[in-house]
Amino acid sequence: MATREVFESRWQAAALLLPTVLVSVVFLYVPAVRAFELSLFEVGFGTGEVDFVGLENYRALLTSSEYHLSVLLTVLFAVAVVVGVMSFSLLVSFLIHEVEVGKGLYLVSAIWPYALPPAVAGFVFFFLLHPDLGVLTRAIEPPYPALGLLERPFEALGVDVDVTGPLEAVGPDVDWFSSGPQAFALVTVVAIWKQVGYNVIFMSASMNNIPGSLTETARLDGVGRLERLLRIYVPIMSPTLAFLAIMNTIYAFFGTFAFIDVMTDGGPAGATNILIFDLYRDALQNFEFGTASAKSVVLFLVVGVLMYVQFRVTEEYAYYGG
Amino acid sequence: MARITLENVRKEYGDVVAVRGIDLEVPDGSFVVVVGPSGCGKSTTLRLVAGLESVTDGDVRKDGESLVGVEPKDRDVAMVFQNYALYPHMTAERNMTFGAGSATDFDDAEIERRVADAAELLDIADLLDRKPEALSGGERQRVALGRAIIRDPDVFLMDEPLSNLDAKLRIRMRAELAKLHEELRTTTVYVTHDQTEAMTLGDEVVVMNDGRIQQVDSPQRLYDYPANRFVAEFIGDPAMNALEVAVESGADGARAAHPGFRLPLPDGDGLDAAVDSRAVLGVRPEDLSLAGADTDADAAIEATVTVTEPLGDSLLLECRVGDDRLKTQASPRSDVRSGDTVALTPDPDRLHLFDVEAGTALYHSAEGATAPDDGRTTRSPPATSEE
Repeated sequence: MATREVFESRWQAAALLLPTVLVSVVFLYVPAVRAFELSLFEVGFGTGEVDFVGLENYRALLTSSEYHLSVLLTVLFAVAVVVGVMSFSLLVSFLIHEVEVGKGLYLVSAIWPYALPPAVAGFVFFFLLHPDLGVLTRAIEPPYPALGLLERPFEALGVDVDVTGPLEAVGPDVDWFSSGPQAFALVTVVAIWKQVGYNVIFMSASMNNIPGSLTETARLDGVGRLERLLRIYVPIMSPTLAFLAIMNTIYAFFGTFAFIDVMTDGGPAGATNILIFDLYRDALQNFEFGTASAKSVVLFLVVGVLMYVQFRVTEEYAYYGG
Repeated sequence: MARITLENVRKEYGDVVAVRGIDLEVPDGSFVVVVGPSGCGKSTTLRLVAGLESVTDGDVRKDGESLVGVEPKDRDVAMVFQNYALYPHMTAERNMTFGAGSATDFDDAEIERRVADAAELLDIADLLDRKPEALSGGERQRVALGRAIIRDPDVFLMDEPLSNLDAKLRIRMRAELAKLHEELRTTTVYVTHDQTEAMTLGDEVVVMNDGRIQQVDSPQRLYDYPANRFVAEFIGDPAMNALEVAVESGADGARAAHPGFRLPLPDGDGLDAAVDSRAVLGVRPEDLSLAGADTDADAAIEATVTVTEPLGDSLLLECRVGDDRLKTQASPRSDVRSGDTVALTPDPDRLHLFDVEAGTALYHSAEGATAPDDGRTTRSPPATSEE
């Protein structure tokens, strides 16, 4: 008996492990196996009829251009979210790190969106950027009443200058109810906004762990701020950044369902129909359990491969030394 | 090469006063050590010179030009930190060159040449492609020194650079730092809490306590003529004994009277003024010797040994005299045991008297306290505290 005996018997240890094992098996492993099994069948809704179709569901996915679009969209979306979240959060964390007064206040303001349920955040942005009613929409779309003020002094001089008129023609028209790219941009921005808080927590903690003397050495050497961030802080923070890249990827694939559901419903014309939403629709709106299961297996594989690549890259580049 | 002048420098952090108005002159090419206990304001002083902190009041000048408001990078100073402050993800060489690009106008070839020179000087040529995690503490500190050297700054600022090293390495690096300064002759301000480091390295030593400079002097003069009790007890190990006595005058001169002894005091400056008052007698353990049988009992201190500490090269005795304690060093193989009564004779030329309240030195029995032969003046503000 080389190791320290914590438990009186093996049974005691097993009993303590049981709840975790039970929950994992019941809610993770069995469903996973069942989903794979189900993906080989065609399930008739209501009738309970189940026909074995082999790999037919996968073959259908391979040939479905709609599904290809969804995969492409999802990858684009994930890249945009991960890159967007991380670069914006890094900037915010750095600004908070550098500011001397009111650090706490800035930190709280940066973090609070994380505390909002995604569905609520989705609704908030739905109304903020509603094409007809949105408060932000008015600020984005012409005419810009604030710019109209610029015309006042000229009016007083009797010169007729039209500032807002020309902008009216070129200014953006918020219309994500029918514009695919706009809808895609909107859900991306909202997904980023929601996840910034989570990233800022980790990045701020990691940045604060960098010894002050490194910053001071850089200051004495005249290393510029941006260079300090990118060439000193980022490499030292790389383990945290690697962790966040993985968490953000998972978030982009699985955690953004509510935004799509609440704001765009996958539309317009499938422009925001990312994989997780697509398979939800197949399973719980179209009740095509076989197809949905096949899709979830594909999603699992896509994310699994991505995780593997990220872990390998991380091992290669992240600095873990002390 | 540069001369640094601090003039009435104050630094406050909210209600906390770290530096309470100090004046200091660091001559061009000198090695000045600032020493003091934790929280005495020595590191803050260094950081004020570096520009990492801004002065609340007063002026910091380099070659007569004020540095107040000048960015750290524009001060042309290089700093060495206690924790080395190496960039962990860069090799030793990259650590040395990274800042040099932005801090200096050297081109790449010049930087390369300087790295090679510094590496040779510091004996780290073989380590240049290693990252800090693969270096020992001493090697890391060499790299940090190299980084400071290749910039060829006007001033080196060193903040306890040896404190993270083990005792043996510290002694070796200490000697190397002294040698390095011999070679480079760059003005250096060195902060430490270790009085041995201060004594061995400094051309001049600045003793600080409680945000004030207690004394600025050469190491030997600090030891011989401490300006006040704080300096007397801080410099020297084991610390100077301090016993409260009454200074009496007698037919054969002044004496320090204590319940345990009446010690004659040789004539000296300040002694007359101290007569007929109470004072603190200071005598270093190494200036007390175990008296032989033929000693004049009148000039000896009778003491009871309470603890003996064999140090190898000497035997440290802790004794009781009246209600006071004092320490002394005996020869290593003397057979003194705890409980023995011993007679101790102090070196009559190595006695000091300090004011009971303020702690300022009233009298040193050795000649030269007020007129040092090397032309140095002993500068010391009064040790009274206003705040």
